[in-house]
Amino acid sequence: MRRIALLFAMAAPLAAQAQEAGMIVRFITCPVYRDADSGRKSGCWLADDHATGTRWDVSQSPYKPDWNFAVLVEGKPAAEGGNSDAGSPCGGKVLDPVRTSILAEPCTRHVLPAEGFSGRRFVLPRRNNNPVGVARPEPQGLYGDQVFPVYFEFDRNFIVYQYSDWLIDRAVTWVQAARPKKLIVTGFAATDPIVVSGRSLTERPQVAQERADMVAETLRRLLPGMSVETHAEVAAKPTQEPEADGLPGQSQRRAEIRAIF
Amino acid sequence: MTRIRLLQGFAPSMAHDMTDNMKRTRPTRSAAAILTGLLIAGSAFSAQGDAPDRWWSPGEGRVFPARLDYTNPHGVLRTLLVDGPMPTRGHPFFEPIGPNGRGCVTCHQPADGMSLSAQTAQERWQATRGKDPLFAAYDGANCPTLRQSDRASHSLLLDRGLIRIERPWPVREWNEKPVTPDFSIEVVRDPNGCNSAPGYGPQAGRLSVYRRPRPVANMKYLLAVGFAFDPKQGFALPRDPESGDQMSGNLMADGRAGTLNAQMEDAAVTHLGMTRLLSPGQRAAIIDFEKRLYSAQQSSLHGGGVDDLGAEGGPAKLRDSEPGALGSIGKPVWSEFAGWENLTPQSSPGLSETQIAFRRSVARGARVFREKTFLITDSAGINSPVGFGNPVRNSCVFCHNMTQMGNDVAPGQVDLGTTTMPFADPFADLPLFRVTCLKQPHPHYGKVIYTQDPGYALTTGRCADVGKITLQSMRGLAARAPYFSNGLARDLRGVIDYYERRYSIGYTEQEKQDLVNLMSVL
Repeated sequence: MRRIALLFAMAAPLAAQAQEAGMIVRFITCPVYRDADSGRKSGCWLADDHATGTRWDVSQSPYKPDWNFAVLVEGKPAAEGGNSDAGSPCGGKVLDPVRTSILAEPCTRHVLPAEGFSGRRFVLPRRNNNPVGVARPEPQGLYGDQVFPVYFEFDRNFIVYQYSDWLIDRAVTWVQAARPKKLIVTGFAATDPIVVSGRSLTERPQVAQERADMVAETLRRLLPGMSVETHAEVAAKPTQEPEADGLPGQSQRRAEIRAIF
Repeated sequence: MTRIRLLQGFAPSMAHDMTDNMKRTRPTRSAAAILTGLLIAGSAFSAQGDAPDRWWSPGEGRVFPARLDYTNPHGVLRTLLVDGPMPTRGHPFFEPIGPNGRGCVTCHQPADGMSLSAQTAQERWQATRGKDPLFAAYDGANCPTLRQSDRASHSLLLDRGLIRIERPWPVREWNEKPVTPDFSIEVVRDPNGCNSAPGYGPQAGRLSVYRRPRPVANMKYLLAVGFAFDPKQGFALPRDPESGDQMSGNLMADGRAGTLNAQMEDAAVTHLGMTRLLSPGQRAAIIDFEKRLYSAQQSSLHGGGVDDLGAEGGPAKLRDSEPGALGSIGKPVWSEFAGWENLTPQSSPGLSETQIAFRRSVARGARVFREKTFLITDSAGINSPVGFGNPVRNSCVFCHNMTQMGNDVAPGQVDLGTTTMPFADPFADLPLFRVTCLKQPHPHYGKVIYTQDPGYALTTGRCADVGKITLQSMRGLAARAPYFSNGLARDLRGVIDYYERRYSIGYTEQEKQDLVNLMSVL
């Protein structure tokens, strides 16, 4: 117990520094599931940064871990709960925004009981598509050049539910109003190696085209008759687009939908 | 005695339908003759159940009434035909339009919720000594290579209600587009010969799996598109090349047909043995009929009518409601029975204590269905690759989320493990395949998978889809045992027992019974 308290005490200043500096927390670890039952989808995901001994609450990721595999964690300490365990619903300092990308490396499953932690009652995320029968708000303003980013998990091309699909839905609503001549979808891959938790990570170059193809196929289905062309770029650089939530790694793993008039 | 009382209780509605039919089909018959006919029919109905009319043979030329009731072990199932009655003489759903003597109705029987129960197959075997076209060698036998006169050659249909489904190898997509699969497939066990006999099996380009016929009623719900995206596949829903509409993805176990047109063409050349396409007129007539059918349990053996004292069960509600609504943002799934939660003898005049207790159990079952959460683990289509995480805590309505129907608003391709090891029961009478993923391993099974039916992967060619089976309607369950695509659960309790052992849910005995009672009135 004393050791745990000491670890927390050591970790607290680190977290505080990270928060103050807007520092990105990034590490690889095996996820831990805490079975806190506050109803559906209320379980907690925890991730231990072994370099600092900090246990982070990464439950707010739009794509969540798999207990059988390691995750790449990228996040920022939350304004509330990112600096201490006090009042934490899951038993870890909160990363929010946060992303947890599933990696191929196998992990030993570990499930913690609730241990008094309540978890979070599920609420629909902001990035949630309405049913088809619900009219989308008409996009306002001039229909000039515009680029719509779509974001992905590390080294994957899957259009993530309640994140990437919402970004595409917004783009489609805009395209339907603006009626451009064609769309160009460019997929990006973060192929410049980075070292995380002592390991060199890089995305496959071909995931750039896979992302472009995935988004293009979806656009063709949603916008019949629209000309959609694809391109791929590697060595993606970070952007400042707001829907990447200020996470540079997330902003690199993207496809861009560009409207051509 | 209970059965006879129940039947008598429902005789008037049947009589109404019969009267109506007779008026339309035999307008010259006198009132006295009609009455005599009714009395005779009523007598047979009461004494022998509805046996005389239970089986619909192709080409009979009966009139399909506007309302049709059949008993089953849990009560009475009602089928409504909007704008009925409808003469079936010459109708392609009811006529033996192929060379094997079958019609669509052969495997989509009104008494079985427009599906086919194993019990019905057994009765048909006994009544015809196995000569009914239902037992056609092509798919009504375990394999055409077997001696067709032996009951054992039809054991999968007779014992588990399974029809042989032949799928091409390598696979073809829903639009018949060839796909290069990212897995190889080998036959580990072939108890019936249809995956290893000369001319059969993957080497011959023909894989055989065995599945339950799916009901063809309440189609507006199965065709409804609630959302534009398929969250399980990460694409927008594909469009029907003919209509341009997005397709729900909820029609077939393996998603091999996205429209009713495609489904019936698939069925015509396989189950009916046709060598030519259906005509446009035939297709239109079948679709028109299927879209006008609503089928659901109307009365419970133990609880009485399912649409009184605040409850809204039965097919009329289905007929009159809008399809495709997500229960979590609208009317909660199975809240049709919320009115029964607090029934008392005072609030339920005319009901026995047993009936009241049963109804309250149904209402509790609806709450358990919605509210009892458990850890859903290692199930592709849920735990991967959607983003929910593995595990994820949720309840039955996570997937069974469409209001009033219990299918998935999104395309419902999910792997519950019912056909795939280690979760599936061993079932020595079913084939077993070894699937080897050639690229990425399956997210939960790894590189090598043992399965009795690869399911959706036989349409997509994707290893990650092995074992996924499309969720289906939960209506009319009482009439169409056994359950799951491979007939794994012999009865409703078997369904709950499977979920319990698959996910270690921790249902109490009372909760299990409440869920069974709920399912029995759908």
